[in-house]
Amino acid sequence: MGRLTDKYCIVGVGETAYTKDSGRTTRSMAVEAVRHAMRDAGLQASQVNGMLSYHGGDSCVSPEVASDLGIRLDFYMDCSGGGSSTEALVGLATGAIEVGMCETVAIFRSMNGYSEVRIGGTGRRAATPVGGSQLLSRPFGMVSAGQSFAPVFMRHMMEYGTTSAQVAAVKVAHSKHASNNPKAYYKKRYTIEDVLNSRWICKPLHLLDCCVETDNATAIIVTAAERARDLRQRPIYIMGVVGRVTKARGDTFYNDAPITAVAGKYAAPRVFGMAGVTPADIHLTGSYDAFTFTTMLQLEDYGFCKKGEGGAYVSSGIIELGGKRPNNTNGGHLCEGYTHGMNMVIENTRQLRGQADDYCPQWQEGIHTYDYSEGKCRQVRDAEISMNLGWANPVTGSALIMRR
Amino acid sequence: MPFVQYRGMQLVVPENESEFLGYFEAAKQHRLVLKKCTACGLMRYPPGAGCPWCQSLEWSWHDVSGKGTIYSYEIIVHSIQPGFRDIAPFPVVIVELDEQRGVPTPQEGIRLIANLVDDQFHPEAEANVAIGKRVQVVFHDIAEDFTLPQFKLSNEPPQGPVWQFPS
Repeated sequence: MGRLTDKYCIVGVGETAYTKDSGRTTRSMAVEAVRHAMRDAGLQASQVNGMLSYHGGDSCVSPEVASDLGIRLDFYMDCSGGGSSTEALVGLATGAIEVGMCETVAIFRSMNGYSEVRIGGTGRRAATPVGGSQLLSRPFGMVSAGQSFAPVFMRHMMEYGTTSAQVAAVKVAHSKHASNNPKAYYKKRYTIEDVLNSRWICKPLHLLDCCVETDNATAIIVTAAERARDLRQRPIYIMGVVGRVTKARGDTFYNDAPITAVAGKYAAPRVFGMAGVTPADIHLTGSYDAFTFTTMLQLEDYGFCKKGEGGAYVSSGIIELGGKRPNNTNGGHLCEGYTHGMNMVIENTRQLRGQADDYCPQWQEGIHTYDYSEGKCRQVRDAEISMNLGWANPVTGSALIMRR
Repeated sequence: MPFVQYRGMQLVVPENESEFLGYFEAAKQHRLVLKKCTACGLMRYPPGAGCPWCQSLEWSWHDVSGKGTIYSYEIIVHSIQPGFRDIAPFPVVIVELDEQRGVPTPQEGIRLIANLVDDQFHPEAEANVAIGKRVQVVFHDIAEDFTLPQFKLSNEPPQGPVWQFPS
């Protein structure tokens, strides 16, 4: 087990509504999300003195957010990055506290990901000159995340016989979960046929293989276990964390073959070793679903099934509520909203508390029906250990194992 | 090398672009070149600043045949970039060059991104795109002083299995 296993906790979580037109600044949203997380934890402004965030040139900075909430900072850093940042920053927060730079760290991600700066390089990003490493792909029309990752899935289909219908089951599962999540942007339940009949974006990806783009902010608060015990919520303990693990020659996703293997191949032994558990011990996962197939690729390389058997795994019912190991019980990026991974850490925190905010009348007291039919419960029964699998791209990933 | 406008993008390869300048200067002469390490002799792509195999900073440009095999691909149907809408659907391919295949490790290869195009530089028809097909570099002069290396299908028979997305 790691030297710091169980010594740090997530004590507060919060977010704004998921919309496609927030009509306000990323600063305004970040302030609301961090405030919600502080209220959730029962923390005063004077008790938060660290802040971390990540951005892609599309957000506000910690001193703005802290000032709006009356927080004086002893430590902050606003890092460049998208997916896989949340888990990495949880690890950095524990390190900052461990060396004594601060005591309690709020981590936020705030983005007008639909109305202002979209991922694919349209909108504000379109006018940016194309140079350096971008010359490898952008002149050929390969710009967006889907366009960049699709050849990885194509090769997986060729090597292992994976099918579109198999990964469509990821959308089916996550949409089932979202239908029991009042916060989810898309609450409709989808079928395999819905996914396969949706229009092509870049083959082999259909529209419904791709996640939603939203405006929102999310926040989580990390502190040491001895402080966490005095706060409002049941502490959720950090058992193991790894951040921004890359494959060899991680500047492209097609050099370190097979390209069907993702960063989890290298992250898995490190994070499971630190946490002192194996995939069999994990009750629920949060495998990043920028696309249906990204969830599958990570579950394979973290060892939840054998390499190449991800298609069978994700279409077996295991990843659905009521299955053996549900994935993205909030509906994930495919349905709840897109926040570069933080919403899945928030979800797993709430699940481990027994406080999934579903349609059960007494969810706040941790009383659930475990009826997973539409518009009902989404709490996983007896959830004790969760794992988040953060994805930046096929060659970069992070992971976080937590327990109640 | 000045800026060039191409499909709504401004491609920039400034004089201090120590990674890509020589690559595009050679392309202008219709040559495909890779950085070759002076110390260990291995080539690399992308044209990075150091040798990933021996960390030497000494290198020279080396001409390669431009022959290769499609390692993977996609068909972009919905082009989010307005400049590509008039050619969608169009294929993007990852080409594995013949040179240095399986060297220095069995999984290594020199792999490039390109569009698969026909003799007029129009997108190759989807029905003709498949993993395993043999390809050859072609040079598309997109401006007076800027050339984009692309790939087209070659007449060579495939060297291994051929696989196409069943759509």
